[in-house]
Amino acid sequence: MRFMVMVKATEDSEAGALPTKDLLDQMMAFNRDLIAAGVMKGGDGLTPSAKGARVRFDGASRSVIDGPFAETKELVAGYWLWECASLDEAISWVKRCPNPMPGPSEIEIRPIGSLADFGDIVSPDVAAEWQQMKREAGEAD
Amino acid sequence: MRVMVLVKADKDSEAGTMPSEDILTKMGAYNEELVKAGIMLAGEGLHPTSKGLRMRFSGADRAITDGPFAETKELLAGFWIWQVKSMDEAVEWLKRAPFDGGTEIELRPIFEMEDFGDAMTPELKDQEDRLRQDIERKG
Repeated sequence: MRFMVMVKATEDSEAGALPTKDLLDQMMAFNRDLIAAGVMKGGDGLTPSAKGARVRFDGASRSVIDGPFAETKELVAGYWLWECASLDEAISWVKRCPNPMPGPSEIEIRPIGSLADFGDIVSPDVAAEWQQMKREAGEAD
Repeated sequence: MRVMVLVKADKDSEAGTMPSEDILTKMGAYNEELVKAGIMLAGEGLHPTSKGLRMRFSGADRAITDGPFAETKELLAGFWIWQVKSMDEAVEWLKRAPFDGGTEIELRPIFEMEDFGDAMTPELKDQEDRLRQDIERKG
């Protein structure tokens, strides 16, 4: 099963506070373990929302709103993509993660949808085309 | 530069309502354009938060809260990772996405090694490069 594991933002990350070398070392060691176990398929840190934007869709209209955004603890500061046998396994791995922030922080775990969830709406042809597109995009499976 | 494109949730996505065949067809065509243009690096849909959970880190404490979560319009329903020349290019591509009905999509530049400053020593950078190669190989 695949999961998206999200590090939620804090005032520190939104202020652009960078990780210390100590935390970078610990996080690197954790990532090394994740990769060796075949769990980690991807992951990145996101710059503060002050550098971001939102686009609002309403019918045919599009409006752009620049960051920063207010709801700090709901913002995403970083993510991983993991492959685990179960949600419990994903939870065990998250428990081993070094605290990604200087103070209290939160990590959200979300199962990733698969084409099978769409049922009859997705024909076998469309499913095959989607898999091919992901291969072309170079995405790790 | 790389950006993360965050598709925010709404009450339909949180209820597990599947998009219509019409939207799926339009999204398929859009994704194909993104891949052909060399923009799309990755993309996924997330199950509703009722299937997810959050873990709180505080010192050495770890506490779990099961979904669903309340702040619907701040929740994530899906994402892309795009390779673009600038935020402006990302915004132009995003405007063409086949969403409607009050969806809000967030764009966030991704940290590159240079952004971490002195804490990202040459040794750590080498290790990061090797780890990314390992992911590619094992993928």
